[in-house]
Amino acid sequence: MENASVLYEVRGVGKRYGGVVALDNVDFTLRAGEVVGLVGDNGAGKSTLVKVLSGAHEPDSGEIYLDGQRRVWKSPHDALEAGVETLYQDSGIAPDLTVAANVFLGREIVRKGFLGKLGFLDEKAMRRDAHAELERVGIAVPASDRPVARLSGGQRQAVAIGRAVAWANKVIILDEPTNHLGARQAGEVLEIIRHARTKGFGVIFISHTLPHVLEVTDRIVVLRLGRVVADAPSSSFTPDSLLKAITGLGQS
Amino acid sequence: MDMQGKLARLKATGLRQDVVLLLLFCVMVLAFSLANPRFFSIRAMANILQDFSPVVLMAIGQTFVIASRGIDLSVGSVLGLAGVSMALVIRAANEAGLDPWLAISLGLAVAVGVGVVAGLINGILITYCRLVPFVATLATMGAAAGMSLVLTGGTQIAGAPKEVILLGNATYLGALTVPVIAVFVIIVVSWAFLSRARFGRWTYAIGSNPFAARGAGIDVERHLIKLYLLSGVLAALAGAFVYFRLGSGSPLSGRGGELNAIAATVIGGVSLLGGTGKLTGVVIGALITTAVLSGLILIGVQPNWQQIVVAALIALAVGIQGLGARGGR
Ligand SMILES: Nc1ncnc2c1ncn2[C@@H]1O[C@H](COP(=O)(O)OP(=O)(O)OP(=O)(O)O)[C@@H](O)[C@H]1O
Ligand SMILES: [Mg+2]
Repeated sequence: MENASVLYEVRGVGKRYGGVVALDNVDFTLRAGEVVGLVGDNGAGKSTLVKVLSGAHEPDSGEIYLDGQRRVWKSPHDALEAGVETLYQDSGIAPDLTVAANVFLGREIVRKGFLGKLGFLDEKAMRRDAHAELERVGIAVPASDRPVARLSGGQRQAVAIGRAVAWANKVIILDEPTNHLGARQAGEVLEIIRHARTKGFGVIFISHTLPHVLEVTDRIVVLRLGRVVADAPSSSFTPDSLLKAITGLGQS
Repeated sequence: MDMQGKLARLKATGLRQDVVLLLLFCVMVLAFSLANPRFFSIRAMANILQDFSPVVLMAIGQTFVIASRGIDLSVGSVLGLAGVSMALVIRAANEAGLDPWLAISLGLAVAVGVGVVAGLINGILITYCRLVPFVATLATMGAAAGMSLVLTGGTQIAGAPKEVILLGNATYLGALTVPVIAVFVIIVVSWAFLSRARFGRWTYAIGSNPFAARGAGIDVERHLIKLYLLSGVLAALAGAFVYFRLGSGSPLSGRGGELNAIAATVIGGVSLLGGTGKLTGVVIGALITTAVLSGLILIGVQPNWQQIVVAALIALAVGIQGLGARGGR
């Protein structure tokens, strides 16, 4: 794994919200075909790092490299165009839109010809393809023309994950994707992550469920109060040592 | 229950809402006609359509804006400002001996320009200056109303060539004037873009969850600016049509217009929480609002009561929506 090329990298990233230092001089790398776990207590800065990586927030300092090239994301749009797909914690989906509309949000299929130029939608194609895409990534799909507001929390989450995975072509960032999920569905998400790895994507997996993290990741990065306090192969952690790294307790 | 069944029920309720509104409108027309038979005449209908035009234009803009979880309080004042600006330009052009149709075109361009500027100001205040839509458009509302008074000195601006009255009042097929026909075209085009095109999809997405919309790569700021621009231009067109009808521009026309527009929108079933709302409902909502206003006058209620009635309608409609939402999602 060490020789695989670095796909996505940030160096020296800092981000503050007013007086709160959310990220402090963070270095982070992700290789192709690698699953990296990002863990840390509530408020450690995981979601903030995700927002920097996905272009939702501009960092106060630091640099972003994709495929070895220096990049500046002005908005999530830039990162999406470059192949970085993100599932945000608790904000990934528009509840009033249908499943298909959510899967295709921002990338709608338009009709052919003049009407398409005006932005008129091909709803039928989107319904059909949304269903196929979600099925392909292994998501038990609810009917694609149902408004997401009428799905269960877990089904919503499934749609959000499916959306991120279906569109990814380089990097997939999943911020607590197993939230709201039952045991079986959480297992399916881990399966989806493994599958994405075999296809050569780089995956960032964030979760508070440490057994899941230990099970599915190649490497684990631990954040504490905005700083990276550990970055090592997953096999070098035991559940106990990982917990200690996260809390900072029991260390000399 | 299976998915198909639920879906069918969902579609049925969506449809039912429009049908209920339409029935309500018919009952109202009937009631007003019984109270005063003059209400049910081609002339009265033509009048209602003319009253309906500015209300529905402002309500269309309002629908797009509210669906994005915003609000535009400036539409009434923008209507007034566009009307007086146009009246001043056309009077000046007319006095300078310009061809009347050229003068009218010039005036129309100025009116639309007023709408563009007002919409841009709203959009920029809301996106880049991060004012909440309520405050931003309240400021524009005040500024536009004040501007109308400054420009006119508080008086009505007449001096329109007779072509203006002709354009605004000559009827075809009994009840249709050129502005009314234009309004119908605008309704259909707006409906198509809201319900069938990416423009509407993004509008609903932003109103439903702005973070998700941004995360999906949508340029939310840019889209919001377009929405307020649209609302401003439609309000300005409403001002132009009112001017065509009356042949004069008054700084007081458009007063309370935002109230009528918001009433039409919420009666039409658009949730102030954003993310939903159909233009079919809003068009009927605008018909109902207009019929209430005209009907009240015909049955002899003092015009001063209008705003109170419209305000009560808004409260009623939002209250009913609240009851529905508690039972629904
Ligand atoms: N929009 C914001 N405004 C102000 N402070 C914020 C904002 N977002 C995050 N913070 C602060 O930044 C710090 C890091 O938050 P972040 O959301 O990155 O934590 P996290 O590791 O994702 O936590 P969790 O496990 O609870 O999701 C916290 O102290 C939080 O209060
Ligand atoms: Mg988080």
